[in-house]
Amino acid sequence: MRTSNRIQHLYTFFFVLLLAGIAGCQERRLPILGERDWVKKTVDGKEVVDTIYNAIPAFSFVNQEGETVTEKVVEGKIYVSDFFFTTCPTICPIMKRQMVKVYNEYKNNPEVMILSHSIDPEHDTPQVLKKFATDLGVTGTQWQFLTGSKEKIYEIGQKNYLSTAKEDKTADGGYIHSGAFILVDKEKHVRGMYDGTTEEGTQKLIADMKTLLEEYKK
Amino acid sequence: MYKSAIFILTLISFSSCKSASELKSEQYFVEGYQLYTTNCANCHQADGKGMSNLYPPLANTPILSDKAAIACIIKNGMKGTILVNGKEFNRPMPANPKLTEIEIAEIVSYVGMKFGKDSLYTPIEVVQQALANCKQY
Repeated sequence: MRTSNRIQHLYTFFFVLLLAGIAGCQERRLPILGERDWVKKTVDGKEVVDTIYNAIPAFSFVNQEGETVTEKVVEGKIYVSDFFFTTCPTICPIMKRQMVKVYNEYKNNPEVMILSHSIDPEHDTPQVLKKFATDLGVTGTQWQFLTGSKEKIYEIGQKNYLSTAKEDKTADGGYIHSGAFILVDKEKHVRGMYDGTTEEGTQKLIADMKTLLEEYKK
Repeated sequence: MYKSAIFILTLISFSSCKSASELKSEQYFVEGYQLYTTNCANCHQADGKGMSNLYPPLANTPILSDKAAIACIIKNGMKGTILVNGKEFNRPMPANPKLTEIEIAEIVSYVGMKFGKDSLYTPIEVVQQALANCKQY
């Protein structure tokens, strides 16, 4: 009687272990954000539906060193992207203060980069961006400040980074743009959007970057 | 009886006079805090310490005692290179044309009391006079 009871307990114990094991398998994965498209194609004579996710397309901008920067710069890296301009009196200073925290957290991590796009490229020349970066305390190329064709910057912001950026003479500083930090994975998919004007948003981003980096460890 | 009533009334008027000024300081401080948070703290930060080499600090800077300069810079902005506590800053500060005289007085009061050595508010008259005679900063 006592022995069978003990065996019963042992079974329960293993059953719980099994459940825990299954739960452990299902780790948290970040979603893929943005518009999707579906295409039908034929594989081994069978028709299958393939999902095409929103992905950051090829780009070409100029960084704070005056160098041309393309999508190659983030090859094999996850990165955080945002939109700002150096003379912005409203949310940019807060976003930059918060982004410095992200920067310090992943400083010198070869798998992580930050791309900050200027939405006022006429004023924000590479020299202006270089001075801004230096004054912010940023050196090296892990955090790139990008300028270039206004149309291209607005287009990639609106269409691919899912972030608003446009001119508006009535707004303080002359531009409106979202305060979002956008997390992009190594396959160029947007995996998270965060409110870069708040501490909660920033901390969530820092945590999600860790989750995303874990995906590549296996 | 009559004399003592006058005496007591005088005392009350004096004490209420003092507390009126203190009360006003508190009002200006609270209003100024809100305005500072919306209009100034993005760059100068909530603690008034500024942000790295981008935006200068206000806390413990000598300019806080120059009410006219503070009022004019808030209203009209500022450009050029300045030296604050031994560090150079040269990013232009935008003008704030939407702020009213009373709002500027409240901000000047807040920064003066919070980040400077003031114990009382800066009256609107001081700000009005300053704004009528602004030079270029």
